[in-house]
Amino acid sequence: MLDIQKYLRLEMFPHMLCPGCGHGIVLGALLRAIHSLKLSQDEVVVVSGIGCSSRLSGYVDFDTLHTTHGRPLAFATGIKMARPELTVIVITGDGDGLSIGGNHLIHAARRNVGLTCLLLNNEIYGMTGGQAAPTTPLGKISTTGPTGPFETPFDSCRLVEAAGASFVARGITYEPATLEKLIVAAIQNPGFSFLEIISDCPEFFGRFNRMGNPADQILAQKQNVVDAKTAATLPPERLKGKMLTGILHHEPRPEYAASYQESIAQMGAQAR
Amino acid sequence: MESPATQNVLIVGVGGQGVLLASDILGTVCLGRGYQVKKSEVHGMAKRGGVVYSHVRYGTQVLSPTIEPGTSDVLLAFEPAEALRWSKYVKPTGTVIVNTQKRIPPAACQDRRPDALTRYPRGIEQALRSQIEDVRRFDAETLAFELGDLRMCNTVLLGALSRVCEFSAEEWLAAIEKSVKPRTAELNRRAFLAGRSVEFPCAEEPQAEELVFEKREAARDEAPFIEIRQNWCKGCEICVRVCPQNCLVMNGSKLAEVAKAETCIRCMLCEWLCPDLAVSVH
Ligand code: SF4
Ligand code: SF4
Ligand code: SF4
Repeated sequence: MLDIQKYLRLEMFPHMLCPGCGHGIVLGALLRAIHSLKLSQDEVVVVSGIGCSSRLSGYVDFDTLHTTHGRPLAFATGIKMARPELTVIVITGDGDGLSIGGNHLIHAARRNVGLTCLLLNNEIYGMTGGQAAPTTPLGKISTTGPTGPFETPFDSCRLVEAAGASFVARGITYEPATLEKLIVAAIQNPGFSFLEIISDCPEFFGRFNRMGNPADQILAQKQNVVDAKTAATLPPERLKGKMLTGILHHEPRPEYAASYQESIAQMGAQAR
Repeated sequence: MESPATQNVLIVGVGGQGVLLASDILGTVCLGRGYQVKKSEVHGMAKRGGVVYSHVRYGTQVLSPTIEPGTSDVLLAFEPAEALRWSKYVKPTGTVIVNTQKRIPPAACQDRRPDALTRYPRGIEQALRSQIEDVRRFDAETLAFELGDLRMCNTVLLGALSRVCEFSAEEWLAAIEKSVKPRTAELNRRAFLAGRSVEFPCAEEPQAEELVFEKREAARDEAPFIEIRQNWCKGCEICVRVCPQNCLVMNGSKLAEVAKAETCIRCMLCEWLCPDLAVSVH
């Protein structure tokens, strides 16, 4: 049996996430995915921004970069350009990746940079105390939206697909085996892979919205999602208010760092 | 008054094996003799390989349709574990006819390890022989398969049953012809005769299987081990709530603890859903 402890910085444990925080489940799935791909610890770089989810980079024994708020994709693009052979994984949150980092997200997708971006969506700003995020669903309580926001939340998967990502998928923490498979598929896609993971924040989102204890909250996840393949067979009224999970879009196209190397080679040949 | 010579035949198997058709055929044979016949059966569990049984009672006067435990003259079992399940219905001086091909139910395959052991009962033959005088085991399914259709298994078993009942082969064949579709009549006839000509005891199955079972049983005893690192656990209760086997509990200090590892099926949910990476299932 796999012992994922070999990928952990054990001296950092127990981690700082709250009891029942879904981000820890994603961490486990990510490590099992990397293990099943037989990647060595030196071939993987994990880059993150700011927020609860972005703390994950501190717990894993790869080369890691904990960057500034909203900018992990910019740093990661730099790494991929300099060392295209590395597997670069970005861990970001809904606040980090979709509000302050939204611009980096759409451009990384447009360029199809060979990164795997895991966006851990807990539908709230956890680290700073539970403010409304661009993903907080209509009517859900947060400190800055005590009666629930009246802004429409982002559907990040559709956003990123429209921006040009070659792989787009969504998973939930309650399905860890599927999640692991989605992460494997995302890493295997050579271009920009975007995986939104619905994760729980029992500390704020769950508490404000009276979702019970962490176990209640994770067990409730299934009610809000439908697998994309199943959805294709269901009438529209059965899909109301549901999020689609699984691989939502996969259309490989030339990867940015590789195209860049090619263009340099061409220019070199012309100059000679 | 019920006639003292009333015969009891219990036919058992799992869904899809043709238990009910076989009992109908037996009923038709009895009626042909002018006997009274009463049947009581359960079906409906058939789809998912559930238990199916049929009580058949015949004689000059039959009152009750059900066989009481310890009074059946013959048990015709389409499946070994079903033979064991119903063996207490048979008289010590009775006969058990068993098809040796197993149907392992999903509930016995819960352990998810690649080399996992099923919880299918072992030692069935010894158990049967210790209770009942005449135990006749044979592989009816392979016989039917060799005849050209696995589905003939029930008719093969009827052939074996015909050796312990009073009716002649002709009576049986006439009833079979009446009960099956015309295009399978010839095949059914051959299946019946094949079953009827099996001599007991027939060549025993190799014992190797039991040995493998024993070895793996030993490995299993040392294996189940759920490790919870209590200094990492934050007491979120997720593992306790998701475990389908109720192996885990919250202890007095609100941390997860292993209550009974022996029922663990290694579904891995506790390990994979622990947000604190505090659980390892070895
Ligand atoms: S605040 Fe929310 S997202 Fe942050 S660690 Fe706690 S539970 Fe997780
Ligand atoms: S692996 Fe864990 S969740 Fe599954 S049965 Fe065993 S203890 Fe329960
Ligand atoms: S899931 Fe993990 S942290 Fe939560 S109670 Fe179980 S062992 Fe503790």
